[in-house]
Amino acid sequence: MTELLRILQLAGNDFSYFFRTKWLMAVLLSLNLSDMLVVALVYHRLMDFNYFQFFVPAVVVMGLFVAALDTGRRIWLAIREGVIQYYLSLPISTKGVVIAYLLAGGLAALVYSSSLLLIALLVLPAHAIWNTLVLLPFFFVLAMGLAGIAAALAALASTHAEFYFAYQQIVQVVLLTLSTVFYPIAVVRQYLPPFLVSVVSHNPLSLAAEAMRQYTFVGDPIQPWFLVNILLTSIPFTIVGGLTYFWALRTIQVKGKL
Amino acid sequence: MYAVETQNLIKRYGKTHALKGLDFTVNPKEIMVLLGPNGSGKTTLLLILATILKPTSGTAKVMGLDVAKQPTKIRQILGISFQEARGFWRHKPAEILHFHAAICGVPKSERGAKIEEIMKGLELWEARNKLFMHLSGGQTKRLEVSKLLIQRPRFAIFDEPSSQVDLRGKRKIWGEIHKLRDEGSTILVATNEVREAEYLADKVTVLDQGKSVVCDTVRNLKDKIAGGDVVELLLEPGPNNTEELREELSMIEGTVNLVVAGENQYRAHVSMAEAWVPKMTSLCYERKARLLSVRVTEPSLDDVFLHFTGKVLETTTNA
Repeated sequence: MTELLRILQLAGNDFSYFFRTKWLMAVLLSLNLSDMLVVALVYHRLMDFNYFQFFVPAVVVMGLFVAALDTGRRIWLAIREGVIQYYLSLPISTKGVVIAYLLAGGLAALVYSSSLLLIALLVLPAHAIWNTLVLLPFFFVLAMGLAGIAAALAALASTHAEFYFAYQQIVQVVLLTLSTVFYPIAVVRQYLPPFLVSVVSHNPLSLAAEAMRQYTFVGDPIQPWFLVNILLTSIPFTIVGGLTYFWALRTIQVKGKL
Repeated sequence: MYAVETQNLIKRYGKTHALKGLDFTVNPKEIMVLLGPNGSGKTTLLLILATILKPTSGTAKVMGLDVAKQPTKIRQILGISFQEARGFWRHKPAEILHFHAAICGVPKSERGAKIEEIMKGLELWEARNKLFMHLSGGQTKRLEVSKLLIQRPRFAIFDEPSSQVDLRGKRKIWGEIHKLRDEGSTILVATNEVREAEYLADKVTVLDQGKSVVCDTVRNLKDKIAGGDVVELLLEPGPNNTEELREELSMIEGTVNLVVAGENQYRAHVSMAEAWVPKMTSLCYERKARLLSVRVTEPSLDDVFLHFTGKVLETTTNA
């Protein structure tokens, strides 16, 4: 059996673990769907532009973000429960374990956010389904990047759960605030200095939300450079997260704990 | 070639020395039992051999492969059953075993039948629909052992394989470990349960404070204790049962100590009772002293541990 096959088996196992946490699924789905519902019923009538159309991609991207960040919780649990030692005894390299977690995180986030998208499509027709299908692999890379961030946070939080959740909240606030997920770039320009505007426009979450707005719901033709930007801003997160998690596993092997 | 060999193996956790220059070997296809109290370095040694921990210095080899340099290759031939069961909280036992079997390369066509057979054998079948987090301590332990019984690795490591398991379950687990050895696996078992060690061991290594104190078969270890066997004699009252006879008994080769334990009763501490008793019966026959009963008690591994380390071995099942 090849290393690749073992990585896929490990990834598949972790992927299924995400969907087995039923309370988490219920909380996430209810939050995301209630967000859509509230916006549909209230904000839509208060604003002079179709905020619902603007907001639905935001909810999908937020679903991707939150589901990818759950990778960190699973890593943290695996470290706390000693499952990580079990993984390190299996016929798979330490690098393979890291890759499997990132793949699983990316895939779980993609599947979860796609389910939100499918629900949204019931009330908000997409203009270009084909564009959406093209976007999905890039969203997968983005989700792996976010899973990388989560892996790094879990490694840094060591055995303290509260630290992990605090770090996660900080990252969430920073990445979502400094993005165009919830408000257009024009609003950002009004309130933030130029260098932060640049950060916001290069934030991979902004890129993902904008891509979905333009290419899925408006139906503009896909601009390749836009997709390349998603890759370029996501891959560093994947690499840094992967290396940090690898370092954490090495630390466990040397010190016996984090 | 040894199946397992360590040379001057050192493992430190900060200022704590878990292993202090351990030299240790295991022959292929034998069950080596590591006996030692908590903190003696047993689990650390197992985790190093399983490539989960890296040694601070020294070398450790499994089937000729270096644990520090070739961990992934070693992982392809070994399996470990942890002291505390490692499972996925929201998976069912059969799912955990399917995952383990798949990643360890058990052919898909054999998995289902093997898993069912092992689960039934270890009385886990009834719990097949429970989530791991709802299993009892004994059930999680059986599940942990089941992983290796399905995998059947060339080198199997069991860390306290029957702790938290009831007596019947212990017997089953021990029987399965013997079967695994008989099929050609090399097995390393860490325990602080004397009965488990006596039942399983082809050889025992006594570990204390990160060092190997002694290594031999159970029989030889017991024989190494001078005066370890206790022989209690009850003689028929009579004129030949004299002080002279007592002195002659105490002169038999192998007698370490002989005391009067009561009227017509003696207690002798001897080395190798199996050689001492025939000599004693001959002597009594010659002196026309009639033996009413002979009771031989051999030393336990507790006594062995005490003899070689000067300490009492903890024998709590859950330690």
